[in-house]
Parts: sequence; structure tokens; C-alpha cells
Amino acid sequence: MLSATGASKGIGIGKVLIIKEQDLSFEPKTIENIEEELQRYRNAVESFCKNTEKAVEKLKESASEKEADILMGHILMIKDPYMNGEIERLIKMNQCAESAVDTVCDMFITIFGSTDDELTKQRATDVADVRISLLCLLLGIEEKSIADVPKGTVIVAKDLTPSMTAGIKKENVEGIITETGGKTSHSAILARALEIPAVLSLESACKILSDGEQVIVDGTEGIVINNPDKKQLSEYTQKREIYLKEKEELKKYIGKETLTKDGIKVELVGNIGKPDDTDNVIDCDGEGVGLFRTEFLFMDRDTAPTEEEQFEAYKKSAIIMKEKPVIIRTLDIGGDKDIPYMHLEKEENPFLGFRAVRYCLKNRELYHTQLRALLRASAYGNIKIMVPLVTSLNELMEVKEMISQIKTELDKENISYNKNIEVGVMIETPAASLIADVLAKEADFFSIGTNDLTGYTMCVDRGNKNVSYLYSPFEPAVLRSIEHIIKCAKAENTPVGMCGEAAADPMLIPLLISFGLNEYSVTPSSVLETRKNISNWSKAEADKIAQTVMSLKTKEEIIKHLSSVI
Amino acid sequence: MISEKLTLKNAQGFHMRPAGVFAGEMGKFSSDVKIKFNGNEINGKSLMNIIAACIKCGSEIEITCDGADEQDALDKAVELINGGMGE
Repeated sequence: MLSATGASKGIGIGKVLIIKEQDLSFEPKTIENIEEELQRYRNAVESFCKNTEKAVEKLKESASEKEADILMGHILMIKDPYMNGEIERLIKMNQCAESAVDTVCDMFITIFGSTDDELTKQRATDVADVRISLLCLLLGIEEKSIADVPKGTVIVAKDLTPSMTAGIKKENVEGIITETGGKTSHSAILARALEIPAVLSLESACKILSDGEQVIVDGTEGIVINNPDKKQLSEYTQKREIYLKEKEELKKYIGKETLTKDGIKVELVGNIGKPDDTDNVIDCDGEGVGLFRTEFLFMDRDTAPTEEEQFEAYKKSAIIMKEKPVIIRTLDIGGDKDIPYMHLEKEENPFLGFRAVRYCLKNRELYHTQLRALLRASAYGNIKIMVPLVTSLNELMEVKEMISQIKTELDKENISYNKNIEVGVMIETPAASLIADVLAKEADFFSIGTNDLTGYTMCVDRGNKNVSYLYSPFEPAVLRSIEHIIKCAKAENTPVGMCGEAAADPMLIPLLISFGLNEYSVTPSSVLETRKNISNWSKAEADKIAQTVMSLKTKEEIIKHLSSVI
Repeated sequence: MISEKLTLKNAQGFHMRPAGVFAGEMGKFSSDVKIKFNGNEINGKSLMNIIAACIKCGSEIEITCDGADEQDALDKAVELINGGMGE
């Protein structure tokens, strides 16, 4: 079993076909007849544009507009006055067309590849693709195409280029495996658009796998199994069927509102860890971001991120989401993490220690920078600020005070921000739960963080095997806490959401509907499934289940009852 | 020669699609079109030069047009940038 990056979900079982790289080597020569060489180059460009236009049409049918657009860009590239001008200039200096194309493409590949912008880096792949196509035309070599592969093929290649994949017949391709590329590479985008399972960045895939051998591609888990035995084969055939059936069923929930069976509307949003994940929320049909963890900005570096850097990250997410909410949680970090510049001391009990809002309120400069970046970014979308690990009203009031000071600063500097930015509390400690009525008067919203709330309520480290059996949101103590929090929020008309794993648990959903939860924030890939699960229950049905469950005395009884009705 | 300062609004910056639209439209004018960004002057008619400049969302840029149809070119450039190149 080999594991790499799962870039397009699903399971494919088929025969390996290795796409070998073409030999595009040539002897650079000095040319005598410049006019003739220019003509040869222009003919190649013309053929290139014609071929590409045809491929664009095919892609529009088989994949998506987005894919077709990428290929259309190749025409714009070669027709670009600067790029085209440079190539012709070199030919006029007696270089042969092959060499001129190679040199200019190489220059742009280097320029694009050396930027720190992911999108620009990807364009280097496009220039490389243009180079291959043009050199093939100039050298009279037929370009590799995967349009005609037989049914049941798993394509294995170093990388897939847009022109290579044009005309791909998705019904013939069971899976894609490449040696390079990540989740945002061309191959990944194409595989997802065509709904072909794909595992990328599998090192030396073309060497490890051999033509004609059977292979399983699990794009969900990022697993490749070559020469599977009977047991693996039947296991994955079954997995494949289940996956396809579920996918088909979930399709009807795309683009729909999230409603209970009797039409009560709730919000269904996604959890993310990086601004780039925002696109994923949209792709998965999420209605906003319910939890944007900001820790990634602070990890694996020598100094704290600047205001500008944070501003860019928050703004990016806000702009992508447009008017939809983006709830950003301020730094939630403590002694369990090793971040030298933050000088976090090793503690006996880091989860009961100096962390999250406690640390931030003692390191005002660092927190000021983050809050200011958040406020500035709020001018670009619907950003809300969420404060983690609150245990007393004072903490919330101190944060609000800092925010109001920053607003005054920004007013003085004439910098725009959302004057009505909402400030909410992540309810994840028993203390916050017990004073939820008090917090609800001051917070603009609540989000129940069930992972920590369960751990702190049950007094359990879920990583400790000896006690992890106690870690369950179905414990009566946890359920009572959740019910209490939602009730307190309702009493003050404070919207209340949930951003832990529990929000996507099909067994908990009827309880959450009954309690009156307003917002469910889940892993983006769980959005459609959760929408479906919510639509299964009416308020009355959910109330009936909740009434029984809340009268039961143990987790075992609760799970038994829920299993019998769901 | 005339110019105007603007802010790029496209969420993912001046990437291939908006750059293609912008360069394509600017190519229709006879005037020289330059984008000033971060102290550099970029050929506004070249998609490749615009991409290479990595202009991100929210960046301040200055468009300069120079030539017979400079006013029309600048009007079009402003319309495109403010409209997010149709994105």
C-alpha cells in the first residue's frame, strides 16, 4: 500500500497505463533565412491556436468552463505581445525557432516559479505546457494525448498538462496517479471537475507501477494499492459502490438552503485553517465560514506575523465569501505548542494554563496586531471575531475594550472597517457554559466548541488511552451543558452555533434541532451530508427524541436510544 | 500622458483570467498602457508581464496611458479594474 496526496475523492479500480515523457531534445542551430524561420514559427503558432481551440471546445463538454478557461489562457500566452515579441526577436537574431521558444518559455517558467504566489507558480506549469505543444509542432512530433485510453484505465504520469488532458473520456478513466502536484494543481482541479479519483505526488509512481498491472486508487484517503489481493479487491469494490451511491444521493442537496423537514432554516458553514481553504468551503456548498483557525499564521516561523500579513490572510477569505459570514477565531495557542518567539513556558498542565485569550490579554502588543488586522479586513466582507477559551465576563469585556480602542485609532487614521463588527464567544469551558446567561448579554454570538467542551467537562484527555472512553459528547453532562448554553443564548436572542465535530454527527443532529441551534459549522466535505441529515427531522420529531434522551442517565442508554430511532 | 491611481479588487489578484481580459482590451488601443506597481512599470498590454508582477488583491496600482487615444484607453482601464474584470 502506497500513500500520497488524495486530490480527488472516490475509488477507482483499473489497469495501469504509464504516460511516458516525450523526447523533445533538439540541436540548436544558427539559421540563415530569417524570414523562412519566422514563417515556420508563425505556422506553428497558428496550428497551436487551432488545436487548442478545438481542445477548449472538447473540455467545455467533458469538464468545466474553469478548465476550458485555463486552456484558453494558453492562446493568450502565446499571442501575448511581449512573449511573442521576445521569441521573434531571438529568431531575428538568427536563433532557430525551437531554441527561441525554449529560451523564452524557460525565462517565464523561472520568473513565475520563483514568486511566492501560489496562482502565479501554477502558471509556470501552463508555460511549460505551451512549450511542449509548440516544440512538438516545430519538431514534427505527435503530442501525447490521453483521449483514446481504453475503458478501465488508471493513468499514471509524471504530471498531467491541460493540453494532454483535453478530450479525456471520463467514462474510460478509473483513476489518476501523478508524481508531482498538490491539491490545487491542474491535475487535481481537472480530476475533481471530471469526478475521477486521483492520488497525486506519489514519488516515482512511473517506476513503482508497471503497465497493465491492476491498481486501486483511493482518492479520498490518498492511497494506492498495486496488485491487490482478493480481500482488498472485494473490500474496495464495496467501498466504491457505497461512495457512488452516497454521492448520487447528496447531489440533490447542492445549492439548496439548509432546512429541517418542517422548513426551519439554519445556517450550515465550514471550518477552515487557512485562507486558501475558503475556496473549498464554496466548492462544498458551505454557506460561510463558522470557524477560521488563525494558528497556522503563527506556527513554523521565527517572528510573529505582521499586521499586513494577517490583514491579507483575513481579507482574502472575506473577499472570497462576499456577504457570507466568516467567523475568525483569535489566536488559540498555549504551552503544548513549541513557538520559540512566543516564549511559552513548558507547563505541567498546558490545557489548564497560560493559553488562548489568557495569553493574548497578557501579550497585548501581539493581540492588538491581530485585532487590528481583523478590523481592517472587516471592510472587505462579513468578518466576525470569536474569542476562544473564555471563562469569565472580564475576559470578553477586556477584548471588547481593546477592539473599541482600535476602532478609535482607525477612525483617526481614516482607515475603513466594519463599525458593527460582531464579537462572539467560543463556549468551550464548563465555566463559560455555567455563566452563558451572563455572557449572552454581552456577546454578539456564541459558538459551542464541542471538542474542548467535552474534554473539559468530562475532565478527560482524549489522547490518553486509559481514560479516552469517557470522551463523548453523548455523556449526559455534555448534553446538559449544550442544552443549557443554547437555552441561555435563546433567552437573549443571541445566535448560537456549534463548531466542533459534534455538529456533523448524525446522531446529535435531532438533539441540536430540538435545542434550537442556529448554525452548524462542519468540515467542508461534510456540508452536503449534514444538510441531508438536518432535512430528515421536523422540530416535533426532534423534540420527542430530545425529551427521552435528556431523561436518560448514562451515555450507554443515550446511544442505545439514539441508535434505535436514527 | 494621463494616469489614474486605483485599487485592485479581484480576490485572487491579477491572475490569468483578469490579466488576459485586461491585456486583451488594452491591446485594442494604440496608446502605450503601463501599470505602475511597487516601483515597477509593467506593460499593460502583456498578459505575461502582468502575471509575473504578482499584483495581489487590494494593491494600489497606477495606470498610465500615452498616445492618441489615451483618454479612451484610460477610461476603459478604470472601468475594467473597478469592475473586477468581470469576475
